[in-house]
This record gives sequence, C-alpha cells and structure tokens, in this order.
Amino acid sequence: MRDERYAKLADVLVNYSVEVQKGDLVEIGGAPLAEPLITEVYRAALKAGGHPFMRLHIPAAIEIFYREAKQHQLKFVSPIAEFENENVDKVVSIWADENTKALTSVDPKRQAVRSSATQRLFLRFMEREAEGELKWVGTQFPCNASAQDAEMSLDEYEDFVLEACLVHLKDPIAAWKKVHNKQEKICKVLNKRKKIRVVTEGTDLTFLCQGRKWINCDGKANMPDGEIFTGPIEDSVEGTIAFSFPACYMGREVHGVRLTFKKGKVVKAHADKGKDFLLAMLDSDEGARRVGEFAIGTNYSVQRFTKNTLFDEKIGGTIHMAVGASIPESLGKNQSGVHWDMVTDMRDGGVIYADGKVIYRDGKFVLK
Amino acid sequence: MIEGFAKLLVQYCLDVQKGDLVRVGSSPAASPLVKEVYREALKAGGHPYLRLGLPGIAEIFFGTAGKHQLSHVNPIDIHEIERVDKIINIRAAVNKKALTNVDPKRQQTANRAMRDYREIYMRRSASKELEWCSTLFPTNASAQDAEMSLNEYEDFVFRACMLHRKDPVAAWRGVHRKQAKACRRLGECSTLRIVREETDITMKVAGRKWINSDGRRNMPSGEVFTGPIEDSVEGTIAFSFPAVWGGREVHGVRLTFKRGKVVKASAQKGEDFLHAVLDTDQGARFLGEVAVGTNYNIQRFTKNILFDEKIGGTVHVAVGASYPESGGKNTSGIHWDMITDMREGGKIYGDGKVIYKDGQFVIE
Repeated sequence: MRDERYAKLADVLVNYSVEVQKGDLVEIGGAPLAEPLITEVYRAALKAGGHPFMRLHIPAAIEIFYREAKQHQLKFVSPIAEFENENVDKVVSIWADENTKALTSVDPKRQAVRSSATQRLFLRFMEREAEGELKWVGTQFPCNASAQDAEMSLDEYEDFVLEACLVHLKDPIAAWKKVHNKQEKICKVLNKRKKIRVVTEGTDLTFLCQGRKWINCDGKANMPDGEIFTGPIEDSVEGTIAFSFPACYMGREVHGVRLTFKKGKVVKAHADKGKDFLLAMLDSDEGARRVGEFAIGTNYSVQRFTKNTLFDEKIGGTIHMAVGASIPESLGKNQSGVHWDMVTDMRDGGVIYADGKVIYRDGKFVLK
Repeated sequence: MIEGFAKLLVQYCLDVQKGDLVRVGSSPAASPLVKEVYREALKAGGHPYLRLGLPGIAEIFFGTAGKHQLSHVNPIDIHEIERVDKIINIRAAVNKKALTNVDPKRQQTANRAMRDYREIYMRRSASKELEWCSTLFPTNASAQDAEMSLNEYEDFVFRACMLHRKDPVAAWRGVHRKQAKACRRLGECSTLRIVREETDITMKVAGRKWINSDGRRNMPSGEVFTGPIEDSVEGTIAFSFPAVWGGREVHGVRLTFKRGKVVKASAQKGEDFLHAVLDTDQGARFLGEVAVGTNYNIQRFTKNILFDEKIGGTVHVAVGASYPESGGKNTSGIHWDMITDMREGGKIYGDGKVIYKDGQFVIE
C-alpha cells in the first residue's frame, strides 16, 4: 500500500534537498525496514532523470562485523566503496533501525578502529560535498525502534517525523525555502562576529569564529533540518559545557556529559553513565578531543528530545557541539574519524553573547 | 540448516580466502541466510559486503525510466565487476510475476545495455579471477510457483543442495567425480544428436570443452555443459517444460535451427515475448549452451531454472551468450535456458553411438 506522505517526503528529498538532475548517479542508502520511503525516493529520482541505485544493509550484519571481524578486516577499506565515494553525485541516506541499541555491547575500541580506518572516505566525502561535486541528505524513516526511544507510539512518531520535515504542510518545498531565508539573515549577522560565549546552567564556554563561516542548514543536507552552525577556531575553545540531553552515538547513550576545554582540547571529560565509551571515542584519534562544530537549533516543530541526533540537534531553542571532524564548508580545519553531536537546552535561561552583546536568550534569537 | 547452507556456500562454492572481496547479493527476504553467509565469509578472512535489492524496484525502473535511463550502465557497477573476487547471489523472490506486464522491449533495451558488464563478468569468471555462485533461499513465492507449501519447498531446496547429507561438501565432491567421467566421454564426441518426441537436433562440439558443473557456481547444481559450434546446429527441438525468462513463462516452445540460427520459433503461449527476446541482438538466435542435467535429487519441474535445468534426466539448451570457458564464442545480452525431458524415450548419440538413454548416461 502506498502512503502518499512518503511520496511527498521523497519529493522534498529528491527535488529540494539533493536536487537530482538528469544523469546524476543517485545512491539510496538504508535498511529494508524503510522500504516504503526507499521505494518512493527511487521513483522520484528516476522521474527527475537520475540513475538511482540502492545500498541496503541488514543491521544483523553490522553487528556481526563489529563482533567477529579480525583487525585486518576492521581496518579494510574496500576499493569499490572508494570508487563509489569518488563518483556518486547524490546520496540519500535513510536511517531505519530495528533496534537502536543493537550495538550497545560492542567493544568501543573496535568501533574506533573502524572509524579511523574509514576516516579517509569520510573526509573525501565531505570535501566533495564542500566543493559542490556531491550532494547528500540524511533522513529518518519512522520505525518502532526510534518511536520507542522517543517514547511514542509508531503512529505518533510518524506524525512527529513528518511534521518536523514540514511534510504536513501543503507545499513543503516552499516552507523549506522560507526557513532558508530566515536563517540566512542570522548567518549574515554572525559572520561579522569574532567571539561567541555560551552561558547556561553548568556551562560557560567561549570560542573564536573569526574568518569561519556560519552555515545555513535549510533542509539540504538533513531532513528535517533547522540549524545554523560554524567550525570554531580549533585552539580557541575555553571553558566548560554541560549537555542537558544524553549524547547518542553509534547506538550508545552517554548521560550527563560535561566537557572542559583548554586551548581547544578536551582536558576533562565527565559522564554520569557511559564514561568508558565517551573516553574511547575521545581517544580514537588526534582530532576527536577538539570541536568540529558549534550550532544553534531552530526547528520549533521539534520540541521534544527523542534520543535521535537528527531531531535533537534541531530542537528550536538548543545549541549543540560536535567533537571530531569539522564540516569543511564552515572552514573548520579539525580532522577526525569521529563527529559526535551533543545537545544543550537553552530554553530556560540560556544566553549567547557575540562580541560581548546578547544575541540569543531563552532559546530565541534577539536580533533586530 | 541455514548455518550448514552458509558454510557450503562460503567454503565449497566460493572457497573464500583471506582478503577476498565478497559480494553478497540478495534481498531482505533472505536475511536469515544473508546474515550467516556474511558471518562465514568474515570467518574465512574475506571482506564481505551486501548488495540487497527490494521487491518492486525493478517494476518501477521498467515502468518509469526514460530511454537514457534504460540504457544507462552505472560506472560503479563496472568498477565493481572489474574488482570483486567472489560473488554469491541468493535469490529470494516475494512475487515471481511482478514483471509480467512490463514491456519486453524495455527489458530488452536494459539487457542490451548490460552487455559490457556481462562480458567483463564472464571474462573474469572464465579466467578464474572471479568466482561466483547462485543459489536460492526458499520463499513462499517460489514455493507457490513450485506448487508446494513453504515447508515442502524448503525440504525440496535443501535436498537438492544435499544439505540433508551428513557431509554436504563431500557429497558434492562425489558429484564432481561422477560428472568428470561423463565430461570425458562427451569430450570424445565431435557430433551430438539429441532425439525424442518432436525433437531431432544435431550439433558439432569438436574442440569445445565440457564443463563439470559440480555445485560451485550453482547451488544446487548437477549438470555438464558445453557451447556448441555456433553455425553447426541443425534441426528442431521441442521443450517439454515452460521456458521462463525475466519472470515470464512461454509454453510449448519449439525452435528450428538452420546453420546454427533459429529460423522458426513457435510457442503455445507467449509467442510474442519469445520473438521479442530472440530479436534482442545478433547472438540471441544462436545457441550458447547445450547441457545434460544430472541431479537426481530433483525430480519435479518447479518453474525455476536453477533447479529445472539440473533435473536428473533432462537436457537443456540456451539461446544467447556462451560461457567462454566452454570454448563457445556466441555473444549476446541474453542467456535463456530451455529444458527438454529425456526420461521417457530420449536418446543422445555421440558420433552415431548411443551415449545416453531414458535420462541416464550409458557409458562405462
């Protein structure tokens, strides 16, 4: 049975987010569970004149890989994957887990070995993206595992996801263009500022962003979207930040994370739960202890924390920071196999200063 | 059973070695087997990766694609086929008739485009740079075609693969030895004549090689085949079973050959489709293969070529591409196997002598 809402979402992904053109090689990545959306994306990409192909995985195989692969296998990068990485024009990644905790008990050191082995691919991917050779969008297919994490029924969660993507509106593409215009104004102002200070309970953090670029996340690379971000000057981050929400990465949750920075580097890392995993990730390579991204979430259709970064980092009224790789288009220079976003709620008393002036208070921008 | 199946595929069929790039191609319906094959390939030191399709996608492709899309070959696929070491294809249909109403000309266009791809595939597999194996995971769709319950069908598939035997790998090695004898005898013949009701066809096979299909490339297997000398085929062959291609069935096919080429093709049902496929390209009217099925664990026609062409006591020929390792030289975008039952009165003559009768080889 076709669900027209997925056809509508596919239209946004294909014709707005990655703008499939005639002749594009379009990779659709996902798990079989996302079949209704994968099928519609395939159809839409074909209609747009592209050459869609699928890259599906089954979650059980990923688990087997992390548990049973020998070192030479963990470190292996397939020449086929490399070629694909170099030649694909558009990528639509559709996340759909059967169990978001399937990898919880996997040895984090093995995951870190894998991350650093594939870092080269990841960097090249981002480089091609920054150069405009490649467009990528990631989205979430509503499934029971994610609904469970979000503490919702599947029905409720479907509504949550599709509303966050603005698919409940008559013309979602027009709505995303509006988001773009609004955020563009904010980016323009911030691009002229040098120093940012973020203050909320347990948090007082400063960094420099002079010469870096604020990027407008308007539904092109993530669906849903709604954030602006930059790459702080790597050695300028100072102070402490406490994250209000559990930090989720590779199927794990780390609770009560608090990071203290000196000259840009994490010198103290605390967690109430999951500290081993946190430290293993921070130690996976040189860049993993540095900040690759600082961002402000602006999607006020997303109000709840659902243990899914795609949505959580967009919550209107939050900020987030990622340890690890910068996104090159922000002109950030940090390199790492890790990119781990962690989110802090600003809605209750949070303030952001730019060059000493308040620009954001209680979860909202206060720019003229 | 699934674990034993995976072991047979990885250790015997593909013989995965440390460092091998192993493509596991299938669809989600076969997840239980895909997962175990992935695990076994990893254990063998290979680098397995999945290539899963989804039911419904092919239909959308053939229904929606424009001309430039139908004839497009993805450069990533070409790169992959140049480099991959082992390929396992695990078929797992959920609807065997999903493509029945697709325009055969559109399928033909797509098929023609895949020619280069297929040629690389065949060249690399002939030179043993690439090992591949096709098998099937039992699903209700295939069971339905076979007119069995899923339970019966699982049993049928597992027996055909000899997974009911204590040591399936040893059993397949036994098949190899037995077939080696048949290949030797056939290799001594320069002309073959196949005779049965409504069928009398001759072909030259001198200088061509008989291949022992011992379960490495097809699981199950059990057949010996070669590529006849392309312009030597003369006479008529009637096929006892429906010929199935691209999800379509053509019933009562009869082909008449002159100087190797199909000059007359008739069918009781699906004749238009038969003609369309035979017109795919130059090579589609010539034989790429002649073969004898030897798997006596398979007795029934189940509308699935993987099993049907192996039925102990049948002969099949394929129009279209030859397998280069048999010495065959025919090239085409298609390779369509069609089967004739020899169990009742069928005979094969090798240089005038009976070497096969009523479904069995009669060689010392």
